[in-house]
Amino acid sequence: MECETEEELRIRTERKVKKAAQLLFFRRHRIPGVKGWELKKALGDDYVEVIAVLNSALDTLGVEVKRISEEGGEREGGEEKKAERDRFMIVLKSPVIEKASGERIDNIAMLSATLAYIISKQGKAPRKAVEEFLSDKFPKQRIYFALDRYIKQGYMGEDDKALYIGWRTRAEVDRKALLDLILT
Amino acid sequence: MGNYKIPGKQIKFDELFRLLNFCKTIQTEGTDPFDLDVKRFLETLKHYHKKWKSLDDLLLDAEAIAELAKIIELQGKWIKDRSSSFYIDPVLLELKLKMLEPQQLATAFFKSWHPIISLDRITPQRLIEGLAYWDALLPFGERIDEFPFPSVVESTFGIEDLIELNILSKTEFDDAVQAVLNELEERGKIEYHDFIYGASFETSVKKAYLTSYLVNEGRAELDIKPLEEEVFISPGDTNVNAQAHHTPSRSIPISLSYEDWLRWSVKQKRN
Repeated sequence: MECETEEELRIRTERKVKKAAQLLFFRRHRIPGVKGWELKKALGDDYVEVIAVLNSALDTLGVEVKRISEEGGEREGGEEKKAERDRFMIVLKSPVIEKASGERIDNIAMLSATLAYIISKQGKAPRKAVEEFLSDKFPKQRIYFALDRYIKQGYMGEDDKALYIGWRTRAEVDRKALLDLILT
Repeated sequence: MGNYKIPGKQIKFDELFRLLNFCKTIQTEGTDPFDLDVKRFLETLKHYHKKWKSLDDLLLDAEAIAELAKIIELQGKWIKDRSSSFYIDPVLLELKLKMLEPQQLATAFFKSWHPIISLDRITPQRLIEGLAYWDALLPFGERIDEFPFPSVVESTFGIEDLIELNILSKTEFDDAVQAVLNELEERGKIEYHDFIYGASFETSVKKAYLTSYLVNEGRAELDIKPLEEEVFISPGDTNVNAQAHHTPSRSIPISLSYEDWLRWSVKQKRN
């Protein structure tokens, strides 16, 4: 096989980065983001490197590609096999803009309190306990409705009458920062 | 499990069942898994080990070991969580959360929030796929089995059924509805829950049921204020009632719960 010139390599990488951006920006599934194996299939074995190139390009726009493991943690790099199972998505790098949601302030407050409460209980808390805790400040009817909506939006999950941190919180919320901000 | 009636055996089973229940409580309630003394648990099992005779005994022993393993797993997780950067005393955090204003909570969320950027766009390719799906789809009449009607309809009892079964008489029902209407006319426009809730939760539910008939027939009106989250009820305008049957109806769910009624009762007593 002929050796690839520098120019050819540049064009090929550019094409791959463009494709990666399209895959990541546009939604393909119910849950946003793309699985590692999908990226591998579309971009080739060097997809992790392609994502790194895309990331440096996105940096100037204040956004970044985030890699979320299925088990719940955020991953910086890591083994190839694990990357295939991970989900890649584009997120806002630093929360600099003042408003990125049309949600009512009290709904955000409820979400914030719920997430902090669940995180403090090692990531899982009985739904009844969460409802009881929130009822200190909000009417029950609003709480039921809000919790169901957060579950639907992916911020939390529900399993056997217990609420746990959902995929969207893992992707979007800096949990450590949230707790620090609440406690200070 | 078998029926253990031998006194000595009963004592050892009682002890094991108590330990098993304790393990299950830790798992369901999420209490501190270190409350269980694993060493003592194992010593208890060892103590009874030579006395096991029947299959039931061995099954109980196996169950105890399995539950103990789950507790040890929880202890491992507990240590991991406590040593992680996320660990914060839940009581302290709960207290802090209760002290913060909604505005402050929302600000904390926004400062730690990195929203996903994701766009939805229908591509020409997807449109072609949609069209192909439409073309391949059989007419609705041929797929009616895929959309069965809810079976609940068949099992629902209406007022007519109850009257037919002599459980309720028409006059009795009409009188009860009229009594609620009279009360409403006497009290005038009033907050819905203040009108519905009464001395007992049972009568409150009954009153809500009868009131729904008044609203349905246009003899009472609901005024919903979504922002304030308040619902008012007032006697219906008799002139408008004549037209009520010609306007399309809509369902308005209003929740009644025992907890809510309890809170209302306490508030009434305080006032």
